[in-house]
Amino acid sequence: MARNFRYYGKKRGDRRTGSRMLGSVGEMIFYAAFLLLGCVSGAMLFSFIAIPQWRVNNEFVRSTCVVLEKRINETADDDGPQYRPEFRIRYEIDEVTYLAWTYDIHMSHSGSRENAQQILARFAVTEDPNDPIDYYCWYDPTSPEKAVLVRGTSWWIWLVFIVPASFVLIGGGGLIYSVLRWGKSAERRAAMVQHAIQRDLFDANGKTTREFPNVPNGVDITNSPGTTLAYRLPIGASPAWKLLVVLLACVLWNGIVSVFVVIAVGGHLEGHPDWGLSVFLLPFMAVGIALVVFLVRQLMVTTGVGPTTIEISDHPLLPGKQYELLVSQSGRLRVNSLCVSLVCNEQATYRQGTDTRRETRLVHRREIYRREGFEVGRGLPFEARCNLTAPEAAMHSFKADHNEIQWQVVVAGNAAGWGDFQRSFPVILRPAAGNNNT
Amino acid sequence: MTDSLAIIRFDGNGRVYGAGDTLSGEYRFNGVLPAQIKAVEVSVLWYSEGKGDEDMAVHEFWRSGPDEGERIDPSRPAQFTTTLPNCPLSYEGLIVKIRWCVRVRAILHRGKDVVAQKSFRLGGVPAVEVSAS
Repeated sequence: MARNFRYYGKKRGDRRTGSRMLGSVGEMIFYAAFLLLGCVSGAMLFSFIAIPQWRVNNEFVRSTCVVLEKRINETADDDGPQYRPEFRIRYEIDEVTYLAWTYDIHMSHSGSRENAQQILARFAVTEDPNDPIDYYCWYDPTSPEKAVLVRGTSWWIWLVFIVPASFVLIGGGGLIYSVLRWGKSAERRAAMVQHAIQRDLFDANGKTTREFPNVPNGVDITNSPGTTLAYRLPIGASPAWKLLVVLLACVLWNGIVSVFVVIAVGGHLEGHPDWGLSVFLLPFMAVGIALVVFLVRQLMVTTGVGPTTIEISDHPLLPGKQYELLVSQSGRLRVNSLCVSLVCNEQATYRQGTDTRRETRLVHRREIYRREGFEVGRGLPFEARCNLTAPEAAMHSFKADHNEIQWQVVVAGNAAGWGDFQRSFPVILRPAAGNNNT
Repeated sequence: MTDSLAIIRFDGNGRVYGAGDTLSGEYRFNGVLPAQIKAVEVSVLWYSEGKGDEDMAVHEFWRSGPDEGERIDPSRPAQFTTTLPNCPLSYEGLIVKIRWCVRVRAILHRGKDVVAQKSFRLGGVPAVEVSAS
């Protein structure tokens, strides 16, 4: 007998089998719980912190008092000892004398004994009843036995509302999102998203985006004019960024490994070596050394092989059309080989458990220029012109949330003393407008 | 009890279309009574397949039925027509695939939706051969 719905199902990324309704209900309960928690904790904080502070500043009535005693109240919690200044004051309201231990309305503790001591020092105890030292105090007109010695607004108090506010935002936002999705098919939801996107596209790029959906508009490629040809293509990943990533990885890895190396070496020096730790550390040290070598090599390639630039006669690329390229390589080096290619990669992003993974596959590579064995002089960059023909029947550039087709011009070379280097320059291959089913 | 199913047919039995072409056809539901139907949705959409998580976008979407104040007879063929966009073109890559289809969905007052889809190709991009990589 077939079940009406499955209680659970296999899941990879956003694909899900099983009961959609049960999933939506669970999602709504989860967000509702968040919202409730945020509202309740926010209301409690408001009534225990904000309202008393507001009443002290606006409703409490000013009077005078004398300080009879003072002390530091000490408690202990997980953060260690906590301190709070306290004063025993005497004040009279309508010929009734009140005695109270007080300071401010919150009666909160802090971890600094010095601060509490400083506050104590600000108020002198009246030793001689015939010579009282008066201070202002503020009492609650609805219950005069409640009084404070100081009032004012503490801005930090509002910081505690960040936690319930974030709960309310996450819970409320999630709940609204779940309610909006409730009972709607995947297509209807996608149509609503599409409609919202199209409504927002009133900028200059909107026409292009609507005309060629999911094809990047490439404005960041055409915003830099070339000196000889129409546009200078931006580099895909700057060598400096690559260098920074390698540097960070190198510092992080070797920093952690060095702590254990110091412990291991210390053991050897003190005469009680831990051979287990020493042997265990060897592969980690090898990786650290490899990272240093790779960093030095990257540094040499980045600084030694000068910048590569590419200018193009027009952009975006259209199927079957020919474009002129100007390749320029600076530096002072002997180039064993330099190859310019038009490359297409597929890129897929997927979730596996809690990880987001990305996979790239090369699907097209066409060499458009090659030269071997030449010198590049300082201040005199190597320049070469070549023609690039956009493939007639290839897939156009495509970009969605999890899948992408990327076209790029790749300059790969080998320089004597510096090794291999490669630089990529993204381009957009746009589909031909109109009928293209042949 | 008969099984519920949806039938979609493209005009001229076309399966390959170009950007800007008109895609038209009809659909109907078998084994679904008018009283059972809450709404009928027709979508012309593309979705991705392959290694990555699924992407999907709807090019054209129609919703009709009692829910929208219309009375429909699911057994009678209903027409749809749309002008296809410039892209994304259908694509058969190594880890990314893009497929176009017309999907019809009858949302019933009780029970599971009755869904069917019919694929078509947009554009003539040839499939990527493994040797290309």
